[in-house]
Amino acid sequence: MALLEVHDLVFLFPRAKTAVLDGVSLSVERGERVAILAPNAGGKTTLARWLAGLLPDGVLKAERGHVSMDGKDWTEWHIAERSAAIQYVGQVPSQQMTGCAFTVFEEIAFGPCNLALPEAEIRARVDEAMTVCNLRHLVDRDPFTLSGGEQQRLSIAAALAMKPRVLVLDEPTSNLDPESRDDLLAQLELLPGELTIVVLEVALRPSLALADRFLLLDGGRIAADGSALDVLTHPRCIETLGMTAITEAAWRIQGAGGWESGRPLPLTLDDALQTLKVPDAVR
Amino acid sequence: MLSVDDVTFSYVAGAPVLADIDFKVAAGEVVAIVGRNGAGKSTLLRLLNGLYQPETGAIIVAGNATSDTPVHVLARSIGTVFQAPEQQIFNPRVRDEIAFGPKQLGLTGAALEARVAEVLERIGLLAEADAHPLDIDQSARRMVAIGSVLAMQPPILLLDEAQRGLDKAAINRLSTIIETEKARGTAVILVCHDMDFVARQADRVLGLAGGRLAADLPTEAFFTDAELTASIGVEVPDVLALSAALGLPPALTPAAFAEAFMAREQA
Repeated sequence: MALLEVHDLVFLFPRAKTAVLDGVSLSVERGERVAILAPNAGGKTTLARWLAGLLPDGVLKAERGHVSMDGKDWTEWHIAERSAAIQYVGQVPSQQMTGCAFTVFEEIAFGPCNLALPEAEIRARVDEAMTVCNLRHLVDRDPFTLSGGEQQRLSIAAALAMKPRVLVLDEPTSNLDPESRDDLLAQLELLPGELTIVVLEVALRPSLALADRFLLLDGGRIAADGSALDVLTHPRCIETLGMTAITEAAWRIQGAGGWESGRPLPLTLDDALQTLKVPDAVR
Repeated sequence: MLSVDDVTFSYVAGAPVLADIDFKVAAGEVVAIVGRNGAGKSTLLRLLNGLYQPETGAIIVAGNATSDTPVHVLARSIGTVFQAPEQQIFNPRVRDEIAFGPKQLGLTGAALEARVAEVLERIGLLAEADAHPLDIDQSARRMVAIGSVLAMQPPILLLDEAQRGLDKAAINRLSTIIETEKARGTAVILVCHDMDFVARQADRVLGLAGGRLAADLPTEAFFTDAELTASIGVEVPDVLALSAALGLPPALTPAAFAEAFMAREQA
């Protein structure tokens, strides 16, 4: 049984004429790192909310289909049970702050406190989340005085402190500088292997470091599902999301007759250095 | 157009987040401000638009010192698109949001309608003019925030991570907006983590590190100084790194790289 299962999901917002999700089916296995790519207005955040169990809610429901975790439909989960199993981090970290924490420590402790965990366990969880997200030096700061990137790390830390089995991250590195991004990714790699991560992205380059399986959400459906190369060079992906700068450079060279047509286009700088056989010493 | 003279600023007394900041931006220039998280980029924007006041030094915006000009007066000269569009949108329809600024400047009737229509076209939201800004997707909302500032026709435009979360069509639209503003003589200041976007759009890069202005260089000179970019904590655009590895002339864009690559192949 897959960990997360989306089955033929059709969803419209109230008063909308067209479905934002129009028959989405996908499954995610335990421990997978999956990136779902989608153009603007492509239903990315809506699908993220369904995956994380934030939908359906009291008002918004599916026209058809359902989403389940461990084979159990989200409608059958109690909210506390679901919060401990899966966590969602949205695009705008400042909107995710509790608003009732005076320090970074309190913000991260908010979730575990609400699970009524023993104090020592709460402190240990906050400590670990601060390490993963490099927040120790900011422990006593007011969350609303942090920079955009620091707030993004804080919202991920608050999710990690719930010790979920699945993290759903909507554009998780968009505010981060390269060092913070690489540091966070390295720390996430150190977390137990059974942690499943689903990221939703519009930017191609950051998604390459985050996942090993890629899906393209286009027109409310899954248009592609496979490796980075399969999906990032899919014609619909190129049309709606463009190419990485490296892929575009190779594609232009191909157009000018300088790149054999059967040769795969590189996605990253490393791919290009390898394909063009640049010696390690020069890299 | 904009002059920052020896500016220092602290949130907590005795711990300046910005010190000795000194630069100028001319009309028609596109300048990117880059640096690590917490380097003070967004703080600097809030100093430029008068939301914060420098502790020492002075900022002159289109002839007015921010220290003795009310923010609403400065807003005629310097328009800011903040990181989170939700924080600056408050009208019930997209068209009202776009019209709000010019109305405060005294524009009415046909002139106001024409201004709103022109901006809606530029941001690609003519069809969503009557939608509630919170009912449209995040990237369209970002475009509403950009449009609401463009409608004021400020001579200085500040864009804080405006490219974030935009797909190919929206990025192309934003690039066109920046290029059009540049051609009109607007000084455009970008705060941006996406170095490919900076390489494509900016004439000059200001690098912040340790609260100081560690770099003020033309874009190519900035990105080709490896020691400097590393000390500021920014990545060099991939195509530039690839051109260096292949011994090609520095290329800031895929098109420039492909051209240099083919020129060597055909030589």
